[in-house]
Amino acid sequence: MLFWGKGKGAKGEAGKAEAGEAEGRQTAGSVVREFVYGMAAHDMTRYALKTRSSMEHLFILITMGDLLGVPILPPYYSLRLLPYVVPQIATWKRRMLREKDITDALF
Amino acid sequence: MSSVLALGLAVVAAIIGYYVYARYVDEKIIKVDPKKATPAKMYMDGVDFMPTGKHVLFGYQFKSIAALGPVTGPIVAMQWGWLPGLLWIVFGTFFIGWVQDYVSAIVGLRNDGQSFGALSYRLISPRGRLTLLAFIYFYLILIVAAFGDMVASMMAKLPSVPLAIIALMAVGMLSGWMIYKKKIDILVTTAVMVLLALFAIWLGSVVPIPASKLVWVVFALLFSYLGAVLPIWSYTQPINYISFYLVFLGMLGAIIGIVVGQPNFTAPAFTTYTIGAGPLWPILFVTIACGAVSGWHSLVSSSGTARQLQNEADTRYVAGGSMFLEMVLATIALIIAGAAFSNFDAYKAALKGGPATVFSVGMAKFFGFIGIPESFGTVFAGAMFVILAITVMQLVVRFARIATAELAGDAVPAFRNQHVGAVVTCLIVFGLIYTNTWSYIWTLFGGSNQLMASLALLMASIWLASQKKNHAWTMWPALFMFITTISALALTARSLILNVGKLQAGTLKPAAGQTVGLAVGGNAVAAAIAIFLMVAALILIYDGLKMYFKVRGETQLPKAPAAQAAPGDD
Repeated sequence: MLFWGKGKGAKGEAGKAEAGEAEGRQTAGSVVREFVYGMAAHDMTRYALKTRSSMEHLFILITMGDLLGVPILPPYYSLRLLPYVVPQIATWKRRMLREKDITDALF
Repeated sequence: MSSVLALGLAVVAAIIGYYVYARYVDEKIIKVDPKKATPAKMYMDGVDFMPTGKHVLFGYQFKSIAALGPVTGPIVAMQWGWLPGLLWIVFGTFFIGWVQDYVSAIVGLRNDGQSFGALSYRLISPRGRLTLLAFIYFYLILIVAAFGDMVASMMAKLPSVPLAIIALMAVGMLSGWMIYKKKIDILVTTAVMVLLALFAIWLGSVVPIPASKLVWVVFALLFSYLGAVLPIWSYTQPINYISFYLVFLGMLGAIIGIVVGQPNFTAPAFTTYTIGAGPLWPILFVTIACGAVSGWHSLVSSSGTARQLQNEADTRYVAGGSMFLEMVLATIALIIAGAAFSNFDAYKAALKGGPATVFSVGMAKFFGFIGIPESFGTVFAGAMFVILAITVMQLVVRFARIATAELAGDAVPAFRNQHVGAVVTCLIVFGLIYTNTWSYIWTLFGGSNQLMASLALLMASIWLASQKKNHAWTMWPALFMFITTISALALTARSLILNVGKLQAGTLKPAAGQTVGLAVGGNAVAAAIAIFLMVAALILIYDGLKMYFKVRGETQLPKAPAAQAAPGDD
């Protein structure tokens, strides 16, 4: 998580909480801590991530737009930047091409 | 009857609902599979789709659904007495409320985390998507109008509250600057800013700012406008963040106050079938919206939570559990209205200042049981109420600004400008508040909210039928909510149209400060919105039922097409 716990929170738990394995070890204190975090700051974390991702996606659209049929940069520059962008291309394409509606702006 | 007993009944109903009914649905009908990959895992993009722990999501879901709705509805519904409200809160949540929240999340989970727009296109009809989105837009505008009206009425009635709210704006902005710009530890920032906010509330109790309702309507809309156009990290987010702690402290204080004080209901169990707002059925069922059933929750469950669940088995806990907790919150609001006043007349007198006044005065009484002075308690509760409303208002105006740019930006390029979109939204809301009666706006909001719930339940029923699963537990609630809310909207539209006639004939006088023309226009616009919502819902229900019977028929006769196509059938 972005706040509270410096990387040890909900967002970082994705991998370790496989099939409820981690649940059994949770103390009452950590449950309360996560609950309060969820109420107070989870929204803020998501907004921060959304802001960052929109910037990143805009950058990839400018540099790698031809992957979606929107060529902006000459291929020379795109190819030079390609190695740095490769890890994000899959999620970028999924986000760009996923159908969105006005409820996406709310949550 | 002791209010603690009512609270106890609600808690017992929540426990039975969660551990018996919800568990049965979860395990026997939906058959959740903890090993199945959720959209959060399949499509993880680090933003919208992100596996998140169930306790974090429980907090997120609860905070997203528990705004002003569960507090206001029960306070207004006390006019029928405490029993009808309590029964609707308990049975509504038990049979419909949690079902809608839970099944919306399940439908999202099992359909790749698609939002309602995409789902309605696929499950209902192509025109269903646009109709649903237009419906949601007007529904959100009504939220801002209903909340804005209450906030302004209360700030005019309790002049000790405004300074606290103005100070909260400053404290919130300062928090944003400290967290994001100065990178000061968030726990230190939180502690300092919450103390500052409490000081501001105390300051409000000694420095009142008297002004008319109109001034506070403009203030509330200005607050929302700033929330819509300023960077979200600098204004909306930190204000909401600091506000959360005040609301949390307030709720905790109220619960302890009820348990310590153990007040009895001073309001009668039942007053009369028809009150000023209308008859018990259907008006009560839309007056108490969020505490029993709310369409807003389906949007949170599908577009927000379903994309973050890391395990299907967490759905009952996150979506169902948070609704049962909200039922308890609504019961607390009912107790505030029914047990905090010395008699029923005192409650009715306070209600003339709006539900916010009832809430503030009532809460202050419960705070008194734990030694908090009444003057501070009233301002604290008033600030808490305003916070619950205004934090939602600024988010909705922000959203409406984006939606306006999307929907009308191509036709009118000026709407792409963020200030134009936000100002237009604020002007529509101002017009609705200024020219209408709050009770009608609240009924319209409640009606559209519950109608949204019935549409979500219908969509879930179609999906369940297509999956050959039992769907009686969603279809009957969908039909009940549909009939009830359409009736409520029709009644409200009729009252508004009659008002137009009476205003023109001179048998009804416009509110103070209003001209006849303005009042006629306001009532006509509100009636038009009610009719639009009904028509949109009827289209959706018609298309939805057509699809439902088609899907159900296919389910019952899966081999029919093959048999028809077999050679030599003739």
